[in-house]
Amino acid sequence: MAISLAQPRQSPLGLAVRGILRKPSSRVAVFILGVIILVGLFAPLIAPYDPAAQPDIVALKSLPPSLAHPFGTDPYSRDVLSRVIYGARLSLSIGILATVVSLTFGVAYGAIAGYAGGVIDAVMMRVLDAFLSIPRLLLLLGVLVAWPRLSVPALVVFLGLTGWFGLSRIVRGQVLALKHAEFVTAALALGASRRRILVRHLLPNLVSPIVVAATVGVAHVIVLEAGLSYLGIGVPQPLASWGNIIQDGADQVATLWWMSLFPGLFMVLTVMTLNVLGEALRDAYERR
Amino acid sequence: MIVAIVAVITFVLIHLAPGDPFSAVLDNPNVSESVRATLRAQYGLDRPLPEQFLRYAGALARGELGWSFSYERPVREVMATALPNTLLLMGVALVGSFALGILVALIQVARRGSFTDHALSGISLFFFSMPDFWLAILTLLAFTYWLPIFPVGGAVDPVMHEYLSWAGRVADRLRHLALPALTLTILASATVARFQRAALLDVLPADYIRTARLKGLTERQILRRHALRNALLPIISLIGLSFPALLTGAFFIEKIFAWPGMGFAVVSAIGTRDYPLVVGGVIIGSIMVALGSLLADLLYAWADPRLRGH
Repeated sequence: MAISLAQPRQSPLGLAVRGILRKPSSRVAVFILGVIILVGLFAPLIAPYDPAAQPDIVALKSLPPSLAHPFGTDPYSRDVLSRVIYGARLSLSIGILATVVSLTFGVAYGAIAGYAGGVIDAVMMRVLDAFLSIPRLLLLLGVLVAWPRLSVPALVVFLGLTGWFGLSRIVRGQVLALKHAEFVTAALALGASRRRILVRHLLPNLVSPIVVAATVGVAHVIVLEAGLSYLGIGVPQPLASWGNIIQDGADQVATLWWMSLFPGLFMVLTVMTLNVLGEALRDAYERR
Repeated sequence: MIVAIVAVITFVLIHLAPGDPFSAVLDNPNVSESVRATLRAQYGLDRPLPEQFLRYAGALARGELGWSFSYERPVREVMATALPNTLLLMGVALVGSFALGILVALIQVARRGSFTDHALSGISLFFFSMPDFWLAILTLLAFTYWLPIFPVGGAVDPVMHEYLSWAGRVADRLRHLALPALTLTILASATVARFQRAALLDVLPADYIRTARLKGLTERQILRRHALRNALLPIISLIGLSFPALLTGAFFIEKIFAWPGMGFAVVSAIGTRDYPLVVGGVIIGSIMVALGSLLADLLYAWADPRLRGH
């Protein structure tokens, strides 16, 4: 007869789900974000027009919102609603993929620095300080101006490579704090290798800060990508990202207001829901 | 140290990039290869990379940032004329956003859990989630085109400014400053309000607050005299942390309102592929951020009696 004395351990995932469902605001956020993700996923089925088609550059150019074109058309006669829908697809994918890159680097760098300690840690942290002191947008400006007309995958890599500094500091702190915990000593005593300790024993304890950082990270990347595309050095034209659509109307902001308003609203909604979720997750993990 | 690393990063970036300034500037068939080679030699682009780096680092150490191709002036001069405008914009927004943000947080905490609290939280989240350039576009639309109260852009009226009286010039400057500064203030204050609300709520369960309450002080007095003072310390570190965001915001806002600052210069340089100017902006921006966090550290040490005298 086995009696378990241990409390049933809550998995990070279970905590996250319960934390999100507890608050009405985050339930709404999940719903809205879900809709936007579905819109992005099924863009070809939902979009009323081809986002790249320029049906009539004279007659259908720069039309204000109407029944046929709820978000209007742009100076190339393309349907703005369809472009916003495809933009959801592109902007969200860039956000998610770049964040995956950031997480990989941030966790690896932080874990190595924290686990190695000593001189290696000190040097790695000083380098990190330098990177942290350069505003991310400026760093990206420097990179993107040097490489004009980057492809989307390259842009994703750069966005990801400039976003891991903060997370790796958190990871390093956690690893440093847990390095001498009893369960690590026990694993060491059992003959576990360093790598096994890092991957099997330390990383699972880092899930909560990583999940929070990822949620907020996606929001950051979406805003950054939009800003860079707005400056004309982000997603290459004629692809539709939210920033690109705003850029298309930037020369005539006053007359083509629908071109900045609608994609921007979608962007703010997405970023807001991600921030609400990030907050709910942080609360859930802190309450534990 | 930071400047050194930034210098290395920017140098590596520029030289990893395909082509050089002259393949971009003189990419037209009418310019012969020999002219291009002469230009490259003139600017030292034909030397080995380590030598180029040493020259570059040496120039940086002397405060030289290179030659701006689009302005046809040294980058240092371009920056020197632009920087005061950026600092003015950032300074006004810094003071304004902390005042507004702290005020909002105080109102929220005084009525915590109420409808006002939730509504203000929602509003700050809304502005917190907003891309800088989008809010700038919307304010531009709303207050210069739909409700033409403010001028469209620039720092002064391009025609009338010279003819105005002294007071008229000041008023003209303020009218031009209003919208960009307001936009940046609102964006930054959202962060301050969210942060300060949390800081105040952290302080409220403390023993001295309970003591104050038992002494019979009103909630208002407690908030203002006891809670706020103790919750101001974290806000000082936020000043340092908010520098990058303010600077980034200023870049977009300057572009949209044609505010002749550093951001405007750098963003225009993107269009003309004026590398030295962009890189100069990156370097100066990083120095500003580093100085900002140093300033916040010093301020913190001065403001916290526990750290004073150490």
